[in-house]
Amino acid sequence: MPYPEQMVAPMRAELVEMGVQELRTTSEVEDFFTVKEGTFLLLVNSVCGCAAGSARPAVALALGNDQRPDRVATVFAGQDLEATALARDLIGDVPPSSPSFALMKDGELVHFVPRHLIEGQDADAVAANLTEAFAAYCNSHAKG
Amino acid sequence: MGTFHDNRGDLHGITVAVFTAETVYVGRCHEMDDQRLLLLDVDQHAEGQDGRTHQEYLERAAKFGVWKKHDQLMVPMPDITAVKPLGEFYRGVGKPAPAPAPPPASQPTVSAPVIVGDDPVTMTEAAREEVKRLLAEEKNLGQGLRLGVAGGGCSGLVYNVEFDSHKEGDVVIPQDGFEVYLDRKSIIYLRGIVLDFQSGLGGRGFQFNNPNASNTCGCGESFAV
Repeated sequence: MPYPEQMVAPMRAELVEMGVQELRTTSEVEDFFTVKEGTFLLLVNSVCGCAAGSARPAVALALGNDQRPDRVATVFAGQDLEATALARDLIGDVPPSSPSFALMKDGELVHFVPRHLIEGQDADAVAANLTEAFAAYCNSHAKG
Repeated sequence: MGTFHDNRGDLHGITVAVFTAETVYVGRCHEMDDQRLLLLDVDQHAEGQDGRTHQEYLERAAKFGVWKKHDQLMVPMPDITAVKPLGEFYRGVGKPAPAPAPPPASQPTVSAPVIVGDDPVTMTEAAREEVKRLLAEEKNLGQGLRLGVAGGGCSGLVYNVEFDSHKEGDVVIPQDGFEVYLDRKSIIYLRGIVLDFQSGLGGRGFQFNNPNASNTCGCGESFAV
Protein backbone atom coordinates (compact mmCIF):
# COMPACT_ATOMS: atom_id res chain seq x y z
CA MET A 1 0.00 0.00 0.00
CA PRO A 2 1.50 3.35 -1.00
CA TYR A 3 2.54 5.81 1.68
CA PRO A 4 0.70 9.13 1.96
CA GLU A 5 1.96 11.43 -0.76
CA GLN A 6 2.92 14.10 1.78
CA MET A 7 5.49 11.66 3.21
CA VAL A 8 7.16 10.82 -0.06
CA ALA A 9 7.02 14.24 -1.68
CA PRO A 10 10.38 15.33 -0.21
CA MET A 11 11.94 12.08 -1.45
CA ARG A 12 10.71 12.82 -4.95
CA ALA A 13 11.80 16.45 -4.76
CA GLU A 14 15.30 15.52 -3.65
CA LEU A 15 15.91 13.86 -7.01
CA VAL A 16 13.93 16.23 -9.22
CA GLU A 17 15.86 19.17 -7.83
CA MET A 18 19.12 17.61 -8.97
CA GLY A 19 17.79 17.25 -12.49
CA VAL A 20 16.55 13.67 -12.40
CA GLN A 21 13.49 13.00 -14.57
CA GLU A 22 10.68 11.43 -12.61
CA LEU A 23 8.62 8.79 -14.42
CA ARG A 24 5.25 8.41 -12.72
CA THR A 25 3.15 6.77 -15.41
CA THR A 26 3.61 3.86 -17.78
CA SER A 27 3.45 6.20 -20.75
CA GLU A 28 6.25 8.29 -19.28
CA VAL A 29 8.30 5.12 -18.79
CA GLU A 30 7.59 3.94 -22.34
CA ASP A 31 8.60 7.28 -23.78
CA PHE A 32 11.81 7.34 -21.77
CA PHE A 33 12.83 3.81 -22.74
CA THR A 34 11.98 4.38 -26.41
CA VAL A 35 15.28 6.17 -26.90
CA LYS A 36 17.81 3.36 -27.06
CA GLU A 37 20.94 5.20 -28.10
CA GLY A 38 23.34 6.41 -25.47
CA THR A 39 23.34 5.82 -21.75
CA PHE A 40 20.90 6.41 -18.94
CA LEU A 41 20.73 5.71 -15.24
CA LEU A 42 17.47 4.64 -13.67
CA LEU A 43 17.05 4.86 -9.90
CA VAL A 44 14.28 2.77 -8.41
CA ASN A 45 13.55 5.02 -5.47
CA SER A 46 11.95 3.83 -2.22
CA VAL A 47 10.94 5.14 1.18
CA CYS A 48 13.44 2.85 2.90
CA GLY A 49 15.47 5.26 4.97
CA CYS A 50 18.41 2.97 5.59
CA ALA A 51 19.11 2.37 1.90
CA ALA A 52 17.36 5.03 -0.16
CA GLY A 53 18.63 7.63 2.27
CA SER A 54 22.10 6.92 0.86
CA ALA A 55 21.00 6.22 -2.71
CA ARG A 56 19.50 9.64 -3.42
CA PRO A 57 22.49 11.78 -2.37
CA ALA A 58 24.77 9.28 -4.11
CA VAL A 59 23.17 10.27 -7.40
CA ALA A 60 24.18 13.88 -6.88
CA LEU A 61 27.73 12.89 -5.97
CA ALA A 62 28.16 10.53 -8.92
CA LEU A 63 26.69 12.98 -11.42
CA GLY A 64 29.41 15.45 -10.47
CA ASN A 65 31.81 13.46 -12.65
CA ASP A 66 32.53 14.42 -16.25
CA GLN A 67 31.87 10.86 -17.29
CA ARG A 68 28.21 10.31 -16.56
CA PRO A 69 25.07 8.99 -18.27
CA ASP A 70 23.37 11.01 -20.98
CA ARG A 71 20.06 10.87 -19.08
CA VAL A 72 18.92 10.10 -15.53
CA ALA A 73 15.45 9.05 -14.46
CA THR A 74 13.65 7.58 -11.48
CA VAL A 75 10.58 5.57 -10.64
CA PHE A 76 9.20 5.25 -7.12
CA ALA A 77 8.71 1.67 -5.91
CA GLY A 78 5.69 1.15 -3.69
CA GLN A 79 4.22 4.45 -4.85
CA ASP A 80 3.95 4.54 -8.62
CA LEU A 81 3.28 0.84 -8.94
CA GLU A 82 2.52 0.44 -12.63
CA ALA A 83 5.33 2.70 -13.76
CA THR A 84 7.79 0.83 -11.56
CA ALA A 85 6.62 -2.58 -12.76
CA LEU A 86 7.02 -1.57 -16.39
CA ALA A 87 10.42 -0.03 -15.79
CA ARG A 88 11.58 -3.24 -14.12
CA ASP A 89 10.36 -5.26 -17.10
CA LEU A 90 12.23 -3.02 -19.49
CA ILE A 91 15.48 -3.06 -17.52
CA GLY A 92 15.95 -6.77 -18.09
CA ASP A 93 15.95 -10.06 -16.27
CA VAL A 94 17.07 -8.95 -12.81
CA PRO A 95 15.22 -9.52 -9.53
CA PRO A 96 13.15 -6.60 -8.27
CA SER A 97 15.07 -4.55 -5.75
CA SER A 98 14.46 -1.17 -4.21
CA PRO A 99 16.23 1.05 -3.98
CA SER A 100 18.41 0.05 -6.89
CA PHE A 101 20.23 1.52 -9.86
CA ALA A 102 20.26 0.31 -13.45
CA LEU A 103 22.74 1.72 -15.93
CA MET A 104 21.62 1.13 -19.52
CA LYS A 105 23.69 1.57 -22.65
CA ASP A 106 22.19 1.38 -26.13
CA GLY A 107 19.17 -0.41 -24.72
CA GLU A 108 21.10 -3.01 -22.72
CA LEU A 109 21.62 -3.29 -19.00
CA VAL A 110 25.36 -2.88 -18.38
CA HIS A 111 25.47 -2.32 -14.62
CA PHE A 112 23.09 -2.94 -11.75
CA VAL A 113 23.31 -1.88 -8.13
CA PRO A 114 20.83 -3.88 -6.06
CA ARG A 115 19.63 -2.85 -2.64
CA HIS A 116 22.12 -4.99 -0.75
CA LEU A 117 25.00 -2.95 -2.17
CA ILE A 118 23.33 0.21 -0.85
CA GLU A 119 22.00 -0.81 2.58
CA GLY A 120 24.38 0.02 5.39
CA GLN A 121 26.59 2.11 3.04
CA ASP A 122 27.02 5.86 3.10
CA ALA A 123 26.35 8.00 0.04
CA ASP A 124 30.06 8.23 -0.79
CA ALA A 125 30.40 4.45 -1.02
CA VAL A 126 27.32 4.14 -3.22
CA ALA A 127 28.54 7.01 -5.40
CA ALA A 128 31.90 5.29 -5.79
CA ASN A 129 30.16 2.25 -7.23
CA LEU A 130 28.23 4.42 -9.69
CA THR A 131 31.30 6.43 -10.60
CA GLU A 132 33.21 3.27 -11.46
CA ALA A 133 30.38 2.20 -13.74
CA PHE A 134 30.13 5.63 -15.34
CA ALA A 135 33.87 5.51 -16.08
CA ALA A 136 33.45 2.13 -17.73
CA TYR A 137 30.38 2.82 -19.85
CA CYS A 138 29.60 6.53 -20.18
CA ASN A 139 30.95 9.34 -22.31
CA SER A 140 32.50 12.50 -20.98
CA HIS A 141 30.21 15.48 -20.63
CA ALA A 142 33.05 17.88 -19.81
CA LYS A 143 32.51 21.36 -21.13
CA GLY A 144 34.87 22.63 -23.79
CA MET B 1 26.67 -1.83 9.82
CA GLY B 2 23.11 -2.25 11.03
CA THR B 3 20.28 -0.11 9.86
CA PHE B 4 17.16 0.60 11.90
CA HIS B 5 16.02 -1.24 15.03
CA ASP B 6 19.41 -1.67 16.66
CA ASN B 7 17.92 -3.99 19.26
CA ARG B 8 17.60 -6.68 16.59
CA GLY B 9 21.33 -7.02 16.06
CA ASP B 10 24.03 -5.58 13.86
CA LEU B 11 22.86 -7.45 10.78
CA HIS B 12 19.23 -6.37 10.97
CA GLY B 13 18.16 -5.09 7.56
CA ILE B 14 21.33 -6.35 5.87
CA THR B 15 21.18 -8.92 3.08
CA VAL B 16 23.34 -11.85 4.11
CA ALA B 17 24.53 -15.24 2.93
CA VAL B 18 23.88 -17.88 5.56
CA PHE B 19 25.94 -21.03 5.19
CA THR B 20 24.87 -24.43 6.42
CA ALA B 21 26.46 -27.78 5.62
CA GLU B 22 24.31 -28.34 2.54
CA THR B 23 22.74 -25.05 1.58
CA VAL B 24 23.43 -21.35 1.28
CA TYR B 25 20.51 -19.06 2.04
CA VAL B 26 20.44 -15.46 0.86
CA GLY B 27 17.98 -13.06 2.43
CA ARG B 28 17.57 -9.93 4.48
CA CYS B 29 18.40 -10.57 8.10
CA HIS B 30 15.45 -9.65 10.27
CA GLU B 31 16.11 -11.08 13.71
CA MET B 32 18.48 -13.45 15.35
CA ASP B 33 19.07 -14.93 18.76
CA ASP B 34 20.74 -17.99 20.25
CA GLN B 35 18.19 -20.30 18.67
CA ARG B 36 17.58 -19.09 15.15
CA LEU B 37 18.16 -16.52 12.46
CA LEU B 38 15.11 -15.18 10.67
CA LEU B 39 15.53 -14.14 7.03
CA LEU B 40 13.13 -12.24 4.78
CA ASP B 41 12.79 -12.48 0.97
CA VAL B 42 14.93 -15.58 0.81
CA ASP B 43 16.52 -17.62 -1.96
CA GLN B 44 18.49 -20.80 -1.40
CA HIS B 45 21.15 -22.70 -3.30
CA ALA B 46 22.52 -26.20 -3.03
CA GLU B 47 26.08 -26.84 -4.14
CA GLY B 48 26.02 -27.58 -7.88
CA GLN B 49 22.41 -26.49 -8.33
CA ASP B 50 21.81 -25.09 -11.83
CA GLY B 51 25.40 -25.99 -12.64
CA ARG B 52 26.79 -23.40 -10.22
CA THR B 53 29.04 -23.71 -7.23
CA HIS B 54 28.10 -21.75 -4.11
CA GLN B 55 30.79 -19.25 -5.01
CA GLU B 56 29.44 -18.70 -8.52
CA TYR B 57 25.90 -18.43 -7.21
CA LEU B 58 26.90 -15.89 -4.58
CA GLU B 59 28.89 -13.75 -6.98
CA ARG B 60 25.91 -13.54 -9.31
CA ALA B 61 23.59 -12.87 -6.38
CA ALA B 62 25.87 -10.09 -5.20
CA LYS B 63 25.77 -8.48 -8.63
CA PHE B 64 22.06 -8.68 -9.36
CA GLY B 65 20.22 -9.77 -6.20
CA VAL B 66 18.08 -12.90 -5.90
CA TRP B 67 14.62 -14.02 -6.89
CA LYS B 68 12.96 -14.89 -3.62
CA LYS B 69 11.66 -18.40 -3.00
CA HIS B 70 10.37 -17.71 0.51
CA ASP B 71 8.89 -14.61 2.12
CA GLN B 72 10.38 -15.72 5.45
CA LEU B 73 12.70 -18.50 6.45
CA MET B 74 14.10 -19.49 9.82
CA VAL B 75 17.52 -21.14 10.03
CA PRO B 76 18.37 -22.89 13.32
CA MET B 77 21.55 -21.45 14.82
CA PRO B 78 23.21 -24.84 15.38
CA ASP B 79 22.98 -25.50 11.63
CA ILE B 80 24.77 -22.29 10.70
CA THR B 81 28.47 -22.43 9.90
CA ALA B 82 28.92 -18.84 8.76
CA VAL B 83 27.04 -15.62 8.07
CA LYS B 84 28.47 -13.03 5.68
CA PRO B 85 27.01 -9.88 4.15
CA LEU B 86 26.17 -10.65 0.53
CA GLY B 87 28.05 -7.52 -0.51
CA GLU B 88 31.31 -9.26 0.38
CA PHE B 89 30.88 -11.41 -2.72
CA TYR B 90 30.59 -8.42 -5.04
CA ARG B 91 33.43 -8.28 -7.55
CA GLY B 92 32.90 -4.75 -8.86
CA VAL B 93 32.25 -3.25 -12.25
CA GLY B 94 33.30 -5.33 -15.20
CA LYS B 95 35.76 -7.42 -13.22
CA PRO B 96 35.76 -11.10 -14.16
CA ALA B 97 34.51 -13.21 -11.32
CA PRO B 98 37.24 -15.48 -10.05
CA ALA B 99 36.00 -19.01 -9.97
CA PRO B 100 37.77 -20.91 -7.26
CA ALA B 101 35.36 -23.62 -6.21
CA PRO B 102 34.58 -23.51 -2.50
CA PRO B 103 35.38 -26.56 -0.40
CA PRO B 104 32.88 -29.43 -0.58
CA ALA B 105 29.70 -28.90 1.38
CA SER B 106 30.79 -31.56 3.84
CA GLN B 107 33.65 -29.30 4.86
CA PRO B 108 31.88 -25.97 5.33
CA THR B 109 34.89 -23.70 5.60
CA VAL B 110 34.05 -21.27 2.82
CA SER B 111 34.61 -18.29 5.04
CA ALA B 112 35.89 -17.20 8.38
CA PRO B 113 32.77 -17.60 10.46
CA VAL B 114 31.42 -14.53 12.11
CA ILE B 115 29.60 -15.00 15.36
CA VAL B 116 26.03 -13.82 15.23
CA GLY B 117 23.77 -13.43 18.21
CA ASP B 118 25.33 -13.57 21.63
CA ASP B 119 29.05 -14.24 21.63
CA PRO B 120 29.85 -17.58 23.27
CA VAL B 121 32.70 -15.96 25.19
CA THR B 122 32.90 -12.52 26.71
CA MET B 123 35.84 -10.71 28.21
CA THR B 124 36.01 -8.29 31.04
CA GLU B 125 37.60 -4.91 30.42
CA ALA B 126 40.59 -5.97 32.53
CA ALA B 127 41.14 -9.06 30.38
CA ARG B 128 40.84 -7.04 27.18
CA GLU B 129 43.33 -4.46 28.36
CA GLU B 130 45.82 -7.10 29.40
CA VAL B 131 45.61 -8.85 26.03
CA LYS B 132 46.12 -5.55 24.23
CA ARG B 133 49.06 -4.71 26.46
CA LEU B 134 50.74 -8.06 25.78
CA LEU B 135 50.12 -7.89 22.04
CA ALA B 136 51.58 -4.38 21.91
CA GLU B 137 54.62 -5.48 23.93
CA GLU B 138 55.46 -8.48 21.76
CA LYS B 139 54.70 -8.02 18.05
CA ASN B 140 55.23 -11.66 17.07
CA LEU B 141 52.52 -13.11 19.24
CA GLY B 142 49.84 -13.05 16.53
CA GLN B 143 46.68 -11.10 15.99
CA GLY B 144 44.61 -12.47 18.79
CA LEU B 145 43.89 -14.80 21.63
CA ARG B 146 43.02 -18.45 21.14
CA LEU B 147 40.78 -20.05 23.72
CA GLY B 148 40.05 -23.75 23.87
CA VAL B 149 39.73 -26.75 26.10
CA ALA B 150 41.59 -30.04 26.26
CA GLY B 151 41.42 -33.16 28.36
CA GLY B 152 43.41 -33.08 31.56
CA GLY B 153 43.69 -31.50 34.94
CA CYS B 154 42.24 -32.68 38.20
CA SER B 155 38.66 -31.99 37.10
CA GLY B 156 38.80 -33.53 33.63
CA LEU B 157 39.19 -30.59 31.25
CA VAL B 158 41.69 -27.77 31.12
CA TYR B 159 41.56 -24.41 29.45
CA ASN B 160 43.99 -23.45 26.76
CA VAL B 161 44.90 -19.80 26.39
CA GLU B 162 47.51 -18.74 23.87
CA PHE B 163 48.30 -15.95 21.51
CA ASP B 164 47.82 -17.01 17.93
CA SER B 165 46.73 -16.03 14.44
CA HIS B 166 43.53 -16.90 12.63
CA LYS B 167 43.22 -20.46 11.34
CA GLU B 168 40.71 -21.84 8.86
CA GLY B 169 37.52 -22.96 10.54
CA ASP B 170 37.95 -20.73 13.57
CA VAL B 171 35.02 -18.94 15.05
CA VAL B 172 36.15 -15.34 15.36
CA ILE B 173 34.96 -12.90 18.00
CA PRO B 174 36.19 -9.41 17.16
CA GLN B 175 37.36 -7.31 20.08
CA ASP B 176 38.58 -3.76 20.22
CA GLY B 177 42.09 -4.10 18.76
CA PHE B 178 42.37 -7.89 18.49
CA GLU B 179 40.37 -11.04 17.87
CA VAL B 180 39.43 -14.06 19.92
CA TYR B 181 39.64 -17.42 18.13
CA LEU B 182 37.71 -20.49 19.16
CA ASP B 183 37.91 -23.91 17.62
CA ARG B 184 34.50 -25.40 17.04
CA LYS B 185 34.99 -28.42 19.28
CA SER B 186 35.57 -26.20 22.28
CA ILE B 187 32.56 -23.98 21.87
CA ILE B 188 30.10 -26.18 23.71
CA TYR B 189 32.38 -26.07 26.75
CA LEU B 190 33.13 -22.38 26.50
CA ARG B 191 29.67 -20.99 25.77
CA GLY B 192 28.75 -18.41 28.37
CA ILE B 193 32.23 -18.17 29.76
CA VAL B 194 33.63 -14.88 31.03
CA LEU B 195 37.37 -14.39 30.76
CA ASP B 196 38.71 -12.10 33.44
CA PHE B 197 42.15 -10.88 34.38
CA GLN B 198 43.21 -10.53 37.99
CA SER B 199 46.21 -8.51 39.03
CA GLY B 200 45.68 -8.28 42.79
CA LEU B 201 47.40 -9.90 45.76
CA GLY B 202 45.34 -13.08 45.34
CA GLY B 203 47.07 -13.90 42.10
CA ARG B 204 47.85 -12.47 38.72
CA GLY B 205 46.57 -14.03 35.54
CA PHE B 206 43.62 -14.85 33.34
CA GLN B 207 40.68 -16.43 35.04
CA PHE B 208 37.74 -18.29 33.53
CA ASN B 209 34.30 -17.97 35.03
CA ASN B 210 32.42 -20.87 33.50
CA PRO B 211 28.65 -21.24 34.02
CA ASN B 212 28.80 -24.70 32.40
CA ALA B 213 31.21 -26.11 34.93
CA SER B 214 29.64 -28.50 37.44
CA ASN B 215 32.89 -28.74 39.31
CA THR B 216 35.97 -26.59 39.29
CA CYS B 217 39.29 -27.41 40.82
CA GLY B 218 40.72 -25.13 43.46
CA CYS B 219 43.23 -23.45 41.22
CA GLY B 220 40.60 -22.75 38.58
CA GLU B 221 42.69 -24.21 35.81
CA SER B 222 40.52 -27.25 35.15
CA PHE B 223 36.83 -28.00 35.28
CA ALA B 224 34.15 -30.60 34.68
CA VAL B 225 30.81 -30.29 32.93
